[in-house]
Amino acid sequence: MPTFSPAEWQAIALSLKVASVATILSLPLGILAAYLLARGRFPGRTLLDGLVHLPLIVPPVVTGYALLILFGRKGLIGAFLESHLGLVFSFRWTGAALAAAVMSFPLLVRPIRLTFEQIDTRLEQAAGTLGAAPWKVFATVTLPLALPGILAGGVLAFAKALGEFGATITFVSNIPGETQTIPSAIYAATETPGGDAQALRLALVSIVLAFAALLASEALARWTRPREDKAP
Amino acid sequence: MPLASFRLLMLAAVMLPTAFAHAGDGTVTVFAAISLKEPLDKIGVEYTAKTGTKVVISYGASGALAKQIENGAPADIFASADVKWMDYLAEKKLIDPASRMNLLGNRLVLVSPADAGNGVTLDSGAGLSAALGGGRLAMGNPASVPAGEYAEAALRKLGLWDAVSARLAMTENVRGALAFVARGEAPLGIVYQTDALSEPRVKIVATFPPDSHPPIVYPCALVTGSTDPAAASVLAFLRSPVAASVFQSYGFVRTSN
Repeated sequence: MPTFSPAEWQAIALSLKVASVATILSLPLGILAAYLLARGRFPGRTLLDGLVHLPLIVPPVVTGYALLILFGRKGLIGAFLESHLGLVFSFRWTGAALAAAVMSFPLLVRPIRLTFEQIDTRLEQAAGTLGAAPWKVFATVTLPLALPGILAGGVLAFAKALGEFGATITFVSNIPGETQTIPSAIYAATETPGGDAQALRLALVSIVLAFAALLASEALARWTRPREDKAP
Repeated sequence: MPLASFRLLMLAAVMLPTAFAHAGDGTVTVFAAISLKEPLDKIGVEYTAKTGTKVVISYGASGALAKQIENGAPADIFASADVKWMDYLAEKKLIDPASRMNLLGNRLVLVSPADAGNGVTLDSGAGLSAALGGGRLAMGNPASVPAGEYAEAALRKLGLWDAVSARLAMTENVRGALAFVARGEAPLGIVYQTDALSEPRVKIVATFPPDSHPPIVYPCALVTGSTDPAAASVLAFLRSPVAASVFQSYGFVRTSN
């Protein structure tokens, strides 16, 4: 069992914190986007589809640069947030979380959207004819049926957020304790003499965490799948 | 297609790549500290205009470049921003010691965005910390960036390190720190004088006394295993009067070797 230095533990803890915050806070928006893309028929739907998938295809450095322009201290949105809400993204873990959330958003939305598309709308209609308001139908019928997809999307997004590098380092640089996540720590270690052992240890941690996330995603999906074999 | 023609076609196809190979390839690859970018690009163009040999320059933090050369990167010449990284490669027998020479000097400065107020001094840690406000001091990472190492040494020597060490934004190379200050993301940064002069969006607010840090020296040398005979000629050209005047025009100081 390899021993980790305090700096490495710091990077691991920060990665877990950043990825958790990023995934949990982007869930509501992700569910909404997935629902709109699955069920909505409105002008601009294709545009929304493109926007949601953009971070997946555009070079991460470009996404990081866009975040810097918009959410930096002097950025269009960043300056407003700082003066009115005291929310700072520059060189802080909040910036790392924002970068991780943006980059993992497409991976969050896709499984949820697929699940929404697969739900039998007749179940929702039945609930409606029994007197349930649309929001109640969504909360008590649609959402529970979509749970496997939401969990799968959430865990996939979490794993991606753990591994986010390009946008993070462009947006909030590489500050130990604040923005030095596991990938950034590995990168710094590869540029330091004698840092190869540290880079290898952190790389193994990264792989183990990603694997654990994927196994958890599978287990969760299996647990919430309707029991088709228990037909009456 | 008849078998004979097919075989001929295949033979031609596998020989095609050799049409692109030149004897000795003819391109000289230079790995250079990123603070040398503007003058070195110009000098490269001058050299190609004079001799026809292509010069390709890869820029980065000297530490990062040294590690790449250690891992077998195909560089012909290495130009570092400090002695430490050149010594690092010399120790591993990765540079030709006979070709090594000190090319230039530089100064270390504190910069702020061009539209910021004045009055920042290097007199006290409290003053510097107050000048940062809620922001961070941008500088290169001392682990791999010479500008960061010089900055840390200078801050320690001047008794300012304790006040600001928790408020740093460390970048992968000195130009990253320059960019953060130019963008207004960081209220202060530590870069080379030549970097500050090349960026109109920053201004120099203070210059670190030369005795507060190890002398800033840019050594350069041939990388062992470099097979290109033009490499030595490029190295010699870096010392020529033509090159010297280009470096000087960007604010670099000549060193007495």
